[in-house]
Amino acid sequence: MSLLELRDVEVEYRRAGRTPVRAVAGASLTVDAGQVVGLVGETGCGKSTLARAAVGLQATTAGSVWFEGRPVHALGRRARSRTDSRLQMVFQNPFSSLNPRRRVGDQIADAMDILGLAPARERRGRVADLLEKVGLPRSAAQRFPHQYSGGQRQRIAIARALAAEPSVIVLDEPLSSLDASAQAQVANLLKRLARELRVGLLLISHDLAIVRHIADVVAVMYLGLVVETAPTRRLWTAPLHPYTEALIEAIPRADGSGWLPEALPGEVPDPARPPAGCRFHPRCPYAFDRCYSESPPLADIVDGRSVACWLHERGGAERPPSRFARLTRTRDSGVGDQVHRV
Amino acid sequence: MSSALLSVEGLQVRLPTTAGLVTVVDGVDFEVERGQVFGLAGESGSGKTISVLALLGLLPDGAQVEGTAMFEGKDLLRLGRRSLLDIRGREIGMVFQDPQTSLHPMMTIERQLTEHVRYHLGLNHAQARARAMELLAEVRIPDPAGALGAYPHQFSGGMRQRIAIAIALACRPRLLIADEPTTALDVTVQAGILRLLDGLRRQSGLSVIMITHDLGVMSSIADWLTVMYAGRVVESGPTPEVLSRPRHPYTAALLAALPHPEAVEDTPLISISGTPPSPQARPGGCAFHPRCAYAVDACKTDVPDLLEVGDRRRLACPVDPLMVPA
Repeated sequence: MSLLELRDVEVEYRRAGRTPVRAVAGASLTVDAGQVVGLVGETGCGKSTLARAAVGLQATTAGSVWFEGRPVHALGRRARSRTDSRLQMVFQNPFSSLNPRRRVGDQIADAMDILGLAPARERRGRVADLLEKVGLPRSAAQRFPHQYSGGQRQRIAIARALAAEPSVIVLDEPLSSLDASAQAQVANLLKRLARELRVGLLLISHDLAIVRHIADVVAVMYLGLVVETAPTRRLWTAPLHPYTEALIEAIPRADGSGWLPEALPGEVPDPARPPAGCRFHPRCPYAFDRCYSESPPLADIVDGRSVACWLHERGGAERPPSRFARLTRTRDSGVGDQVHRV
Repeated sequence: MSSALLSVEGLQVRLPTTAGLVTVVDGVDFEVERGQVFGLAGESGSGKTISVLALLGLLPDGAQVEGTAMFEGKDLLRLGRRSLLDIRGREIGMVFQDPQTSLHPMMTIERQLTEHVRYHLGLNHAQARARAMELLAEVRIPDPAGALGAYPHQFSGGMRQRIAIAIALACRPRLLIADEPTTALDVTVQAGILRLLDGLRRQSGLSVIMITHDLGVMSSIADWLTVMYAGRVVESGPTPEVLSRPRHPYTAALLAALPHPEAVEDTPLISISGTPPSPQARPGGCAFHPRCAYAVDACKTDVPDLLEVGDRRRLACPVDPLMVPA
């Protein structure tokens, strides 16, 4: 059994007088010890909601979240369960997630104090060890967050999460507010921590290129559903879902070739009114009859790969949709003009 | 030289801080040709945004600006408030990073799109409305007529950025300044905006100053690339050459820090040690020397000049450790 397991999780946001939004519409995902799982998708696909549901910050409307064999309950009025403390979260913006008025060391030591992980006299040494582990000087404990750059603050936030001795850390866009050089440093740090401490990481990001570098397994989300999961390299070299393919083709490459990335036509539909059938069909260059009416389940294809697409049959061969598709997709980024081509 | 639309020389900007005046941009030269996408790259704090804000006279009070910026025979840095008002929005359009904050949330798209064509071009209501529809169609907003009556929150981030571009282009400016226009957007949406900008400059000969830290974006759209570090230009040249054969150690390091889609698995990203210096505490000599793997003693004391190194390229590194002998 995996350390963290999300089974058909659904999260619905109710809105007064309007149709509720199913931000997550039945997503499944697992994270094992020492494994880095990347969760990618566009803005509004529900990846952050899923991350919050995974740690119990957001109540699920259906499905379940299991951590170390026990169900994770949504945070209520009571304190978070002590066993759940081994499931930690790092947020996107280290400028707001750290307390500006408390010393770095005190913030890191909180978890040790609350969970009784270290007697008071040992805390200072442990805090310094953690700071060192994330690549900061031991003396950083005495200073305040504002004395650090964005990348260093994100390291502090990671050290704070590590203080609770977690087995899984969920990170919501931990790199997106950082500069290129800081991004690379923190990315390398995360990968090293997963390997050395055997912590499982669930990394939520919209930046596929960075996920490509850190993650062992990638899950791609579209409009509330996981549409494909695969070992990172396989996903990259042979994407099975047309949406994954489109995402990869949209990444600009800094090689000086002058190649303009491919635009995915259309917009992400309103999650309150998702399209019938496969949710991706209005933007899919391969859509056929079945896609308009039936929603494809996330099915295992081969060796750890699963995809929710009618182009692929269970147990069938890995057949990336690519290549010929480029011919069918127009060069121009017309918005809306290709959407309704039924 | 004479064909350049904008020619900036010796641009220096000092901004007031609690610790007195701080030099943020320190002697920047560049030229933007007609119909060219001119890329200005660098990490946050490198002075790239401040450089263009200085050209538009949009710096905070108390800022000191030196140098010249010739645009169509006028020096932008010597123009009065009144003349700058006529140039901003009319001859030079600007698009900012976050369309969420650059569009007015409580004004309809029509009002925001027609405001300055009426002001600058003196169009009447009907003409301005027709122009607005035309612009929305140009940036590929579906149903332009319906969009006119809508408010920014009714559009997605990508659509809002398209609207912001339409506003910037309303008076047919000769120069568009785009400051991180796609940074807040998803890659799929970013690709659409890049294609849109590329199409616009091909159709209408628009010049674009593209400011971004994303070298991938530069690679796909910029003709010319200028890399800034700590307020100075460290390297410039035609984009394909600079990106495929970087000469400055900083440019090379930035490229190495990027996750490359075709990179070998499990190789760590090569990060640049340290952090970019803040304008208050820039090191002497070459500002990059504390982070540079190739630094020699002279780098600590001498500020390197930006010199021609052939192939229309310029470089501010006398060591030039990355030069490949021809």
